[in-house]
Amino acid sequence: MGRYEIAIIGTGPAGLEAAITATVRNKKVLLLGSRESSLKVSKAHKIANYLGLPEIAGADLAAAYLKHIDAMGIQITEDKINAIYSMGDYFVLQGNENVMYEADAVILATGVVAGKPFPGEDENLGRGVSYCATCDAALYRGKSAVVIGYAPKEEPEAEFLAEIADKVTYLAMYPEETSFTRENVEVLRVKPLSIVRDGRMKLVTDQGEIESDGVFVLREAISPKQLVPGLATDGPHVTVDLQMKTNLPGCFACGDIAGTPYQYIKAAGQGNVAALSAVSYLDMKKRSGGK
Amino acid sequence: MLKEILNDNLDEVNASEVALVDFNATWCGPCKMIAPVLQELSEEFAGQIDFYGCDVDENQLAAQQFGVMSIPMMVLLKKGQRVDQKIGFMPKAFLETWLRQNL
Repeated sequence: MGRYEIAIIGTGPAGLEAAITATVRNKKVLLLGSRESSLKVSKAHKIANYLGLPEIAGADLAAAYLKHIDAMGIQITEDKINAIYSMGDYFVLQGNENVMYEADAVILATGVVAGKPFPGEDENLGRGVSYCATCDAALYRGKSAVVIGYAPKEEPEAEFLAEIADKVTYLAMYPEETSFTRENVEVLRVKPLSIVRDGRMKLVTDQGEIESDGVFVLREAISPKQLVPGLATDGPHVTVDLQMKTNLPGCFACGDIAGTPYQYIKAAGQGNVAALSAVSYLDMKKRSGGK
Repeated sequence: MLKEILNDNLDEVNASEVALVDFNATWCGPCKMIAPVLQELSEEFAGQIDFYGCDVDENQLAAQQFGVMSIPMMVLLKKGQRVDQKIGFMPKAFLETWLRQNL
């Protein structure tokens, strides 16, 4: 598939504007996300402060975005990126079903992730807390695990884990019925409060404690730190400078993920800056002799 | 070069002045991504740090002994004593700094 010059993750105003600017500057762009743009845009009733488009309805603005993208011939690749690896000189982006993309520079425009980690979650990551059941399942042979699932689509992951582990306690964080076939999966409807490491792992819930060898937290959204290992963050936001540079050379961030205020026109403006910064990063790299 | 650990045999690791053991598995994406990074570092730190690869499926006892619950896990040892460890993929520059700090 070849290496892209700039990969952009997210199709809200920040990501789309970055894609437009990078395309104007003749870069080979990979735009990843949903064609539905951002729900934050399309669901907005009316937007009062978007320059030149007074009182525009969110749905109309989203439609105008897509028209602009299509007119410029920019494709949206509808894939979800689960991890971005900084390889030094380039980045590897891991999509669903382990599709790998390569790019010289990356622009993060995924929007901001709601939901804070549980107390004890960050500290114990990799020491009993995991985000990927299929990744770490093999380490749970003969052991027990708690899985906190935020959507029915996480059930197969827990089921897979149960094939290897002795026992899996599944906390369904959604109203839908669960459909497990294995008998060593116990489904509970309790609220997790915190994770404690005390020899084994202890999950404190509103209805008592559950002891196990490991806790898997399977959330819909991935926090930026988890998405890009090594990325400097400040709470739910990526730390950037005024050029939208992150601490990782070649990685930029814009829009809500880069911090407040959460405004459409600010997101679009930052997308423009991020793309231009990525372009000068690529030019500089080329000049300094890298390919 | 990373030396593969076979049959849970850690004798060489324990005898080494400074050793880095990378616990990994063939089915682990981040492990595959960090492999070339460790390869480069093993050349940079040749003569200073001995690099070892440890497949957790092939060496379940060794993995258990080190309490590996998530991979990739990189354990740094001096004369067989665990000095520090890192879990998950890290950019090369980070690993480099970490290794230098621990030399």
